[in-house]
Amino acid sequence: MNGQNENLKELFERFVEGEQAERAAEDIRKGEQILGENPAPQPDEELIADIKAEIAVSLYHKKQDTLRRTAYKMMAVAAGFMLLAVVSVKLFEKGGVGPEKTINSPVALKAVWDNSADETLTAEIEQIESDLVAMQSGENSSNGDEAVTELEMKLTETNGDFWKG
Amino acid sequence: MAKSEDLARIISGCKSGDARKLSELVDIYSGRLYGYFYRLTGNREISNDLLSELFVKLVEKIGSFKDGSFEGWLFKIASNLFYDYLRSRQRQEKSFEVLKSEFESEATEGKQSSDERIDKLQVQLGRLDTDTKELIMLRFYSEASFKEIATMRSEPIGTTLSKLHRGLKKLRELMGD
Repeated sequence: MNGQNENLKELFERFVEGEQAERAAEDIRKGEQILGENPAPQPDEELIADIKAEIAVSLYHKKQDTLRRTAYKMMAVAAGFMLLAVVSVKLFEKGGVGPEKTINSPVALKAVWDNSADETLTAEIEQIESDLVAMQSGENSSNGDEAVTELEMKLTETNGDFWKG
Repeated sequence: MAKSEDLARIISGCKSGDARKLSELVDIYSGRLYGYFYRLTGNREISNDLLSELFVKLVEKIGSFKDGSFEGWLFKIASNLFYDYLRSRQRQEKSFEVLKSEFESEATEGKQSSDERIDKLQVQLGRLDTDTKELIMLRFYSEASFKEIATMRSEPIGTTLSKLHRGLKKLRELMGD
């Protein structure tokens, strides 16, 4: 509600008695009448023109700021898309090699530490050990030099297999 | 005064950054706002500065105006600006009494004849405390209701009514009416 349309008496009656409220409302009306009869000076036309010019400048700066901020945002989004595109192209160019490698690596490790490979190696070492014991005890009837050479070959082969995985 | 539909259209234009609509707002409110600042400071230079600052603030803040009384919102900014100005003056190690005597002397200097009564009012206003004077000016120039003024000042309506009643009664006595 506008102050000029306000029923002052009614408003005061919420706080004081009827007659007192009427007097208070009258005091306010007369007080404000003094202000109305004594108007304040008006602003100079020059001042108003300056204010309007200042507003135009402020609006220009505000628009520039908004444009700059929008441009920065768009640049950031574009940079994000470009980065994504470069990464995607690189992945596409490498094709299946990349992923395969990552899959192969655990397989290679598995081959080294696989139980079955371990068992094969253990069996071969045991075989060599028993051959060596047989040779030392003279059980092996074949030529001693041949047996040593054969044993060395077996050892070399076993060693090679181990590092090949 | 602009009709509420016209005012709503002008405010909407201002929000979208239309310089012509902002100029219209200047034309509508500059007189009342200038009167508010002048009656509180009694100094044309300071009133000029405060009025310019107010409209710069208006451009910055118009986007945040939602519903309700535009006058209430505008005069709340004006009131904050006036108190900011007072605080900055006080920071410059000038007490309120010095300010008051400055306002009084500025008001009594120069203008006579047709402006004599205006000067008299300005002098008598200087005898009221800042809070009461600000309340009287806020009510007179914003043309807001007591309810709106109480909301602006974050105080109960009864307090606003009683302060304004006392202030205007005192002013009438000072003016010899």
